[in-house]
Amino acid sequence: MKRIYSIMIGAACTCFGLTSCADFLEIEPLNEIIMERFWNEKADVDGIIAGCYSGMQEEGVIKRMMVWGEFRSDNIGVGRNITSDNNLEKVLKENIDAKNSYTSWKDFYTVINRCNIVIKYAPGVAAVDPAYTQSELQANIAEMVGLRSLCYFYLIRAFRDVPYSTVAFTDDDQTMDLPATKFDDVVDSLIVSLEQVKDQAVKRYPVTKPLYQTGRITQDAIHALLCELYLWKKDYQNCIRYADLVIASKKLIAEENRLSQTSGRTINNDQDERFNGYPLINNMITSGYYGNAYETLFGSDRANYEDYNQEIIFQLIFDDSPRESNMIANGAVNSFYGNASNSMGLVAPPDFIFDDIDKTSSRSIFADRNKKYDARMYTNCNSSEKTINKYTTRTLEINATTTTPSVDYGALYTEGQNGSNWIIYRLTDIMLLKAEALSQQLREGSDQETVNYNKPLLEEAFNLVNAVNKRSVCQSQLVDTLLRSDYGTKSQMENLVMQERQRELMYEGKRWFDLVRLSQRTGSTQTLIQAAMRKVTTGGDLIANKLTKMDAIYWPYNNDEIKINKNLKQNPAFSSGEDESYEKTK
Amino acid sequence: MRILKSIIIILALTVATAVGAQTITSVHGTVSDDMGPLMGATVCEIDGNGRIIESAITDMTGNFTMRVRNPKDKIRFSYVGMKTVTLPINRTTFKISMQNATTLTDVVVKSKKRVTGNGLPIPQREVANATQTLSMQEFEGLAITTIDEALQGRIAGLDIVGNSGDLGSGSTMRLRGASSLSSLVDANPLIVVDGNVRQVSLDNFDIASANNEKFAELLNINPEDISDIRVLKDAAATAIYGSLGGNGVIELTTKRGVRGKPRLSYQLRLTGTYQPKGYSLLSGDDYTMLLKESYFNPEQSDAAANIPELNYDPSFSEYEQYNNNTDWRDAVTQWGLRQNHYVSVQGGGEKATFRIGAGFDHETGTMIEQKLQRFSTRVALDYNVSERIRVSTNFSLTYTKNDRNSDGLLDIAMKKMPNMTIYEQDPVTGENTSAYYTMLQSGSSVFNGNQKDYVNPVASAKLAKNEQRTYDMQPELIIQYQLLGMDDDHWQLNWRGQVLTNINNGYNDRYYPQELKTVTWDSGVNTTSTSSSKSVTFNTKQTLTLIPAFKNKDHSAMMLARFELNSGSSTGQSEDKSGAPSGISSTQGGGQIKNLSSSYGQSRSMYYTVSAHYAYKGRYILDASLRADGTTKFGPNNRWGYFPSASAKWIISDEPWMKPAQKVLSMLAVRPSWGRVGHQPGPNYLYTSKYSSTNKYIDMMAMKPNNIRLTNLKWEIVMSYNLGFDIGFFNDRLNLTIEGYSQTTSDMLMQNFRIPSNAGFADVPYRNSGKMRNTGWEFHINTNRLITVGKKFWFDMNANFGNNRNEILEMDENVLNDLNSVYGFSNDETLRRVQLHNPLGAIYGFRYKGVYQYNYSTFNRMTPEERARFMAEGKTAPVATNADGSLIVDGQGNPVRMMFNYTNDASGRNYRFNGGDAIYEDINHDGQINALDIVYLGSSLPKLTGGFGFTFNYGPWRLSTQFTYRVGNKILNRARLHAEAMIGNDNQSQAVNYRWRKEGDITPIPRAMYGSNSNYNTLISDRFVENGSYLRMGYAQISYAINRKYLKWIGLNRISLYASANNPFIFTKYSGVDPDIASGGWDPAIDNAQTPRSRSYTLGITVDF
Repeated sequence: MKRIYSIMIGAACTCFGLTSCADFLEIEPLNEIIMERFWNEKADVDGIIAGCYSGMQEEGVIKRMMVWGEFRSDNIGVGRNITSDNNLEKVLKENIDAKNSYTSWKDFYTVINRCNIVIKYAPGVAAVDPAYTQSELQANIAEMVGLRSLCYFYLIRAFRDVPYSTVAFTDDDQTMDLPATKFDDVVDSLIVSLEQVKDQAVKRYPVTKPLYQTGRITQDAIHALLCELYLWKKDYQNCIRYADLVIASKKLIAEENRLSQTSGRTINNDQDERFNGYPLINNMITSGYYGNAYETLFGSDRANYEDYNQEIIFQLIFDDSPRESNMIANGAVNSFYGNASNSMGLVAPPDFIFDDIDKTSSRSIFADRNKKYDARMYTNCNSSEKTINKYTTRTLEINATTTTPSVDYGALYTEGQNGSNWIIYRLTDIMLLKAEALSQQLREGSDQETVNYNKPLLEEAFNLVNAVNKRSVCQSQLVDTLLRSDYGTKSQMENLVMQERQRELMYEGKRWFDLVRLSQRTGSTQTLIQAAMRKVTTGGDLIANKLTKMDAIYWPYNNDEIKINKNLKQNPAFSSGEDESYEKTK
Repeated sequence: MRILKSIIIILALTVATAVGAQTITSVHGTVSDDMGPLMGATVCEIDGNGRIIESAITDMTGNFTMRVRNPKDKIRFSYVGMKTVTLPINRTTFKISMQNATTLTDVVVKSKKRVTGNGLPIPQREVANATQTLSMQEFEGLAITTIDEALQGRIAGLDIVGNSGDLGSGSTMRLRGASSLSSLVDANPLIVVDGNVRQVSLDNFDIASANNEKFAELLNINPEDISDIRVLKDAAATAIYGSLGGNGVIELTTKRGVRGKPRLSYQLRLTGTYQPKGYSLLSGDDYTMLLKESYFNPEQSDAAANIPELNYDPSFSEYEQYNNNTDWRDAVTQWGLRQNHYVSVQGGGEKATFRIGAGFDHETGTMIEQKLQRFSTRVALDYNVSERIRVSTNFSLTYTKNDRNSDGLLDIAMKKMPNMTIYEQDPVTGENTSAYYTMLQSGSSVFNGNQKDYVNPVASAKLAKNEQRTYDMQPELIIQYQLLGMDDDHWQLNWRGQVLTNINNGYNDRYYPQELKTVTWDSGVNTTSTSSSKSVTFNTKQTLTLIPAFKNKDHSAMMLARFELNSGSSTGQSEDKSGAPSGISSTQGGGQIKNLSSSYGQSRSMYYTVSAHYAYKGRYILDASLRADGTTKFGPNNRWGYFPSASAKWIISDEPWMKPAQKVLSMLAVRPSWGRVGHQPGPNYLYTSKYSSTNKYIDMMAMKPNNIRLTNLKWEIVMSYNLGFDIGFFNDRLNLTIEGYSQTTSDMLMQNFRIPSNAGFADVPYRNSGKMRNTGWEFHINTNRLITVGKKFWFDMNANFGNNRNEILEMDENVLNDLNSVYGFSNDETLRRVQLHNPLGAIYGFRYKGVYQYNYSTFNRMTPEERARFMAEGKTAPVATNADGSLIVDGQGNPVRMMFNYTNDASGRNYRFNGGDAIYEDINHDGQINALDIVYLGSSLPKLTGGFGFTFNYGPWRLSTQFTYRVGNKILNRARLHAEAMIGNDNQSQAVNYRWRKEGDITPIPRAMYGSNSNYNTLISDRFVENGSYLRMGYAQISYAINRKYLKWIGLNRISLYASANNPFIFTKYSGVDPDIASGGWDPAIDNAQTPRSRSYTLGITVDF
């Protein structure tokens, strides 16, 4: 009897002992995929790549592109219900501290990390998935390097020095409290990495994927990025070289489009004359009516990708019915610029912009010579509603049949359903960057040698600016609003380029960065202050005083980052949001 | 195995046939007692295992005949109430005279009361760790409705705080302070019912609030079903629960059937409850006057105050709706009524016992339209297969239907404008119509976002639906097998196998009709939602207990080995719709789908436990245990946690040399113990990188990495030492226990640990960081018939107090930086400071010095002499003074005006104080109030908590009372801050009628100023920090048992009647409704106007048939 018991006990014990606990305690989630089961096939790589782009589309990213790139500039004033966004209100008042949520860079680094993760794991997928070819892998890596560089470029333009890493963060034991890398070092690193991959990037996506051409990073996008990086680096030769590559590529696309055009489309004969040979989109709808370029680039004309492919280099594609498509709508534009329910968003153009339109002389933005014939007066903002118009309305039509043109705005996007694509690079931007690089190569002085040296540069630069400008002139019988003779010196040309960039790229998140680049180049914030002061009505001295410090034109690091990253030193121009007198008593 | 078995059987059969030839095949005889023959006595043949082979029952004359299968077996005679006789079968005729079992008084039974917990059956006297036991017999006949009510004030070191008075919301408990600060780790003690831990298996369910609700559910076990409660405090006691027992354990043992005739018992309790009111609110007239002033003051303009809803202008179309004095709070509160019915039947014979209990509760809340119905049943069956084998089964079912409010009615009622009407009033006659009134969207824009959004609370209660139903089923099967000996003289090896399943289904249906909202149709009216959740958990436990029998009776020992396995899964789904046709309150009725979601969770765990107990001479005692916990929460390298414990006890009073003192000192023991327990994080899959889908891009399906994987996440370890003394006087009539403990938590699981976001993520879910220590002591006394006068009167008392102190020993610098907030200079902003070597729960703020009586300009116009006189008279104006109280003047001789947060670059608030503003003490005399003037205002940790109670008994009468108290803690009364802020449109407390209105007013309440940044009168200051000490009467109950002899004629055994008052009064200086507010996590105790604990009065009757 005893024996049976001991056998039973023995059996029981072995049972307990042998229960395979390792397996039993291993469970897997159902709504997520664990790493061990991921990175097996090309689709996994494609999935995360798409995740990088949808990460770029997050409101946190687009809003910061807008706020960092433009909102401190003269283009943006206070809109309706600004009190609901206290942090934004402070930005507009130039009262930025480290507690301000717009100083948070997290969403950009989220995208950067996703890019790095693809770069880290994609080669392993290529090794196991025969369907994933080496050239596809290299194209994907180029795409990710491009997107990552773009994110870093935004960060350094906003913060100057930022933590720079090309390592993917996956584990909690990695070193994360990186010190900030210097602006110039980041620019150099970005240029080096882009130069390495630029030839492997996709040049043209198949026509079956028409939105990929502008919606994803192509070789053109990398060239555009390099063009601007070189401009910031003050390497004007290379800037011009890459601008030319982009322009040439776009010309080729335009040529193909022209050849394949069906009879339904009208070919405007004055195209070449107007655009000085650049492949810009004609703004004319029918004779006397304008707004075609707006609709194609910013509005509802999404089907005409063939048209906008010739002008847009890289944009983030949004959707106006997010619920059905499971894509994202452009929430940043929706709340900042306005929508059908609130035609005025949190921000609006400052009054001087509307004054500028009404004036006929000593205008600060539009050329004096232009008597309200510049379409951008209407496409940028709506002067009767005092609202920003770009990106918020699907259609508009400028009636220039009378001496003073009138404009018919279409319906604004419904609240929460703004489908306008956010443009990051388009051809006119690159053309004007090239013009800027050309103007920087000009020399001061009036002696003959200088004049001779300057002449071709001036010609070419003017040619570029004028092409951009003429496209927006709403006159069928074109009268040049810019005269070559007005822009004979370096500073005149510089000013012209800046002005044209402001007119052309208003509300596209570029203006403040342009001013920062200018300040960096000249070593003085004088022009920036002048520009920024235009919108200020009260307390201007204080702000001007603040901005004289070069550090002050960048952004402070968010307090939360400073708290947990001991290697990060705060920009000295900004308060932490804490009372400084603490420091004294410590 | 099978071969072996057959061999044995064959052998046995051979032996049996060999012997059987010349033996007895049947027996007969009579059974009687001293009164005569016994009918119905049981005669049975039992084998060596105690299994019944054959049986018979005596007839009317006490005769029996029974076949005998094996004469080597024994014959047993038994009868209820008689002593069982067991004899060898050595003859065919038995004449048995049975003796009454109760008359055997001359035999001294040296039985030891043994602990009936989940561990070893250690004799009570030999328990060597910090535990406290409550027998529910003490509460027999008392109106205890929940377990926490019974525990309140009885257990030293157990701090019970009522969460809110809402139906079914339960309490929060902290045993010896919170040992973990992570809110994902439940800080409530573990509840164990009959050795079973209730596992909550939902992954996304582990937020603290949900836990509290779950916890409340556990405590909902009908107190009538409970026989014992044991609270395990130190790690040596809880170590057998490993990582689950880190916050202490409350073990509940349910009642089981008792042999005897079926006994039926019925109990009814009727309880009336109501809510204490708290501060008085403004009437409609006072409110409108306040608001007009508050709008006028900041801009000094009548136009700003010209709001039609406040103007009492009959030409206003809604005039009738805004000319009332509505007491919203009164309209949403009521007397609640609770009925508890409970029936139990128990009984059984020698083979089997049973107990069936069923209860039905019906409760209406203290808020209107709250209703809770609960049906619970519990069945316990025990069947003795043989003396060695016993099979038990338990089954419990609880069905709860809870009709809740859809909105926080009380909260809204406290804020809603009192000049508004409940029912829409006829614009001509001003009489109420049947429709509820809700502020129109066209109402003044100043009410946007506040009054316009506050639903009519009465309408919400009556029209909206929020119905919750839960079914909870718990079947359990237990087999106990005594493998070896059956008494203390033999080695015992007992096996106990348990299988338990828990099935919990929950449903929630909601409907929010369009009448409650005035928004447009497309922004979501007539919303309906349905959600359901199901969870099934399976648990098995296999326990072997070995009790050796030593020849030398000085030694005694026992050992236990247990294996336990848990596995559970849960699913949930929900559907939200809006725009359903009016009148349809189900999601099936149409409308637009707003949200569809489903969830799935899974949990698994595995435990091994070994535990041993040794006693020498019954007075030197050693205990040790080791538990290994395996969990899915950690990666393979840290999957198992090992939790050892050891404790010892020396019963000094049992030493021979203590003999002379034993008359007085019946117990003196010292108990040191040490143990290690641990915590695990809530969510699974932390140690691996996870990817999930995200928003599509163009036509590409997008994925994203979800987390930074935690490569070396470890168990949070709590190491604890305990030293206890047990002292008993006068044959344990007065018992005293003193405990001191120190408990160090290391590798603290810090939740949502911030990391530099340049890593692509802003935080990791957990990190082991920091060290914290809780030290404290406890003291409790209870008595056992302390004073008896005659036979009828006796008196008992219990008292306990305890103190817990907590200190942060180590913490990652980044965590500290991240936890400590940067002061933003806003009203109502609490400043959090977590400092090393300091306890948590400190309150910081400004010092409040009253209200400036005069404006700055008034003071500035005065001549120096007038100023001096002004200052000498103690009048106040917003001017800066030096440390010696002298005025600070600027270059022009003008006095320097007090400013709030002045910075010269205009980045500060730069607010200039004026007459009617709050005076804050300028601690550093720099002429401005800023963060440097913030001082320590007190700690929200109590110096002492505890309770005491008295029981008086006189014959059938019994009175018992219980009190709880807390001393020396501070509470930040934020509810009052909001009620006196006067910065918005919410209704305010009547205290604001004493506000500053004109120059010269002397008052502690500042002026009314609309706008959150228009003034800085409600910064956190000692104006709102109050003493939270209190003494509460927990309950007072009086009961009366009708003498049995008066009941015999109607065939009843017992009727007892009782009346009780629960929480009838509280002595406190605290001005809020209820000072029962605990500090949570890193923050101090803040009163956020939760529903106060209700007060109740109960009448009850218990009838035993």
